[in-house]
Amino acid sequence: MASDNWWESFPQLTKQTLREIRIYIDSGYREFSREYGQLLEDFFDPLLQFLIWLEKLMINSPWPIVLAAILALAWAGSRSWRVVGGIAVSMLLIGTFGMWEDTMRTLSIITVCTLVSITLGLPIGILMARSDRMRNLITPVLDVMQTMPSFVYLIPVVMLLGIGKVPGVIAVVIYAIPPMIRLTDLGIRQVDKAVLEAAESFGCTGWQKLRHVQLPLALPSIFAGVNQTIMMSLAMVVIASMIGVKGLGQPVLKAITNQYFTMGLMNGLAIVALAIAFDRVSQSYGKRLQQDHA
Amino acid sequence: MRAIRTTTKAVALASLLSFGSNSHAAECGSVSIADMNWASAEFAAYLDAFILEHGYGCDVEIVPGDTVPTTTSMIEKAQPDLAPELWLNSARDAIDRGKQEGKLLIAAAILKDGGEEGWWIPEYTAKQHPELKTVQDVLQRPDLFPHPEDKERGGFMTCPAGWGCEVNNGNLTRAFEIDKHGFDMIDPGSAAGLDGSIAKAFDRKQNWFGYYWAPTAVLGKYPMKKLDFDAPFDAENWRSCITKPDCPDPKRSSWTVSEVSTMVTGKFARSAPADVMDYLGKRSFENALLNGILAWMSDNQAPGADGAERFLQKHEDVWSSWVSKDAAAKIKKAL
Repeated sequence: MASDNWWESFPQLTKQTLREIRIYIDSGYREFSREYGQLLEDFFDPLLQFLIWLEKLMINSPWPIVLAAILALAWAGSRSWRVVGGIAVSMLLIGTFGMWEDTMRTLSIITVCTLVSITLGLPIGILMARSDRMRNLITPVLDVMQTMPSFVYLIPVVMLLGIGKVPGVIAVVIYAIPPMIRLTDLGIRQVDKAVLEAAESFGCTGWQKLRHVQLPLALPSIFAGVNQTIMMSLAMVVIASMIGVKGLGQPVLKAITNQYFTMGLMNGLAIVALAIAFDRVSQSYGKRLQQDHA
Repeated sequence: MRAIRTTTKAVALASLLSFGSNSHAAECGSVSIADMNWASAEFAAYLDAFILEHGYGCDVEIVPGDTVPTTTSMIEKAQPDLAPELWLNSARDAIDRGKQEGKLLIAAAILKDGGEEGWWIPEYTAKQHPELKTVQDVLQRPDLFPHPEDKERGGFMTCPAGWGCEVNNGNLTRAFEIDKHGFDMIDPGSAAGLDGSIAKAFDRKQNWFGYYWAPTAVLGKYPMKKLDFDAPFDAENWRSCITKPDCPDPKRSSWTVSEVSTMVTGKFARSAPADVMDYLGKRSFENALLNGILAWMSDNQAPGADGAERFLQKHEDVWSSWVSKDAAAKIKKAL
């Protein structure tokens, strides 16, 4: 057993104390979950209904219509036949190899995660850019969100909300939102001071300055943030499937536990295809937006 | 000695043991022990680790594992050396093959009574609805067990994707036609997801219906009632269909009795000292005893190592019959 010499072995708390601390915090959390779990579940119910609706829409609609809609969106975003063609080919391959339904599930949850991340991340990023104190406050929180192993917060989320889509979205957003916030902040802070002074001398209000000067000039950086957020959401698909989120993550998980190499590879490649598609479309959309403003 | 003449299996085992005894004086060397991701197996891994390390001077390494990957790795790579608690049904085919090829050896049945797998509901649900006794009774009431994503249907929490029991559950749910009764399967995704869903249900006194197994800390902490399948167990149906991923027409069946044993690689069995193999052939306890330890571990949030130490302190009468006198003295000294 540990020696009593404080020099040789670190004088740690006794096992008993540590155990008591853990039990105390755990039972505290349990109380909280008992008290507010139902309330939170009701609060997130609209999100759940939307998730279910979107997934059903994408799975139950005939596949040619879904594919056409995806390609139309891709065209609207990228205006590039090469991108649209590439997406068409990869979606057809995904369908041929029997991964259409799982891909639709993943696509729908990633879409929602991205939308949530943007709607929450953009204002937080703006807030951070406008006040150094906010920045000092938020940065460590973002560090925690990015480095804390996901399972650490998956368990409490499951205790609170059960397993399934909503806890999945929460877990993914926690991991995927930091780049959105950081890059919005960065983009706004990098706007040339001289431009801002010019705007001020024209009598711009704070809101006008933000809306017409800072955000447009920060667009490339903000879009890099959106892009990173999508990539990180896709990377979280497998982790999310560990708390019962259906989609491409599930067969990957199954492949990991059983060493089904091909199954893992095929579903992994489908995730990669989605990631590249999202990336190319959002990148070129960002570039076009910026050119429109320039 | 008569047994050795009668069965070839015993001959094989005996020869392994006697081969081992040649190297009796030899060092135990290094032993890798699989620590599965459930509490009773974790306890068993640390118990073996403590006994082998302190009683027999082995150089023990604990490696994380899971039924199917560990079995595969033990067959293909002879690593890890030892899986203290393995549910043989979960990887029956692979284990049988490994045994035939001499790559695996089944030692003691670590759970004397075997394991209990099946479909469970919380005890408070059973008390509130005393009419729910069998699987059929529960299937009549999807309204009591609503699916979280579709309130119109009932939810059955199945075994996480990729586990051996996923196949059994999939076939049994088809045999019992749960979809026709208005139930859908919910995949919890992982052990954490499955346990979390139970903990959440119990915290809020919600109904829960799904697959679980004993002995486990979860069942010690959250008392549940195992439902009667109300169907005879048919070994042939079980082996040739329920455990096969694409069985065309599964028939209703009770859950097979689970043999839970210690598994060692053939390589380790041949090279390990005889007294180590002797210990691994004797170490076995009753579910009641294990439930008590698991409940203690869970109440105190104690890891497997603490559980093992506590067991060794409290139940000398049990473990002293497994080990040699010499080892017993060394273990007592190390506690």
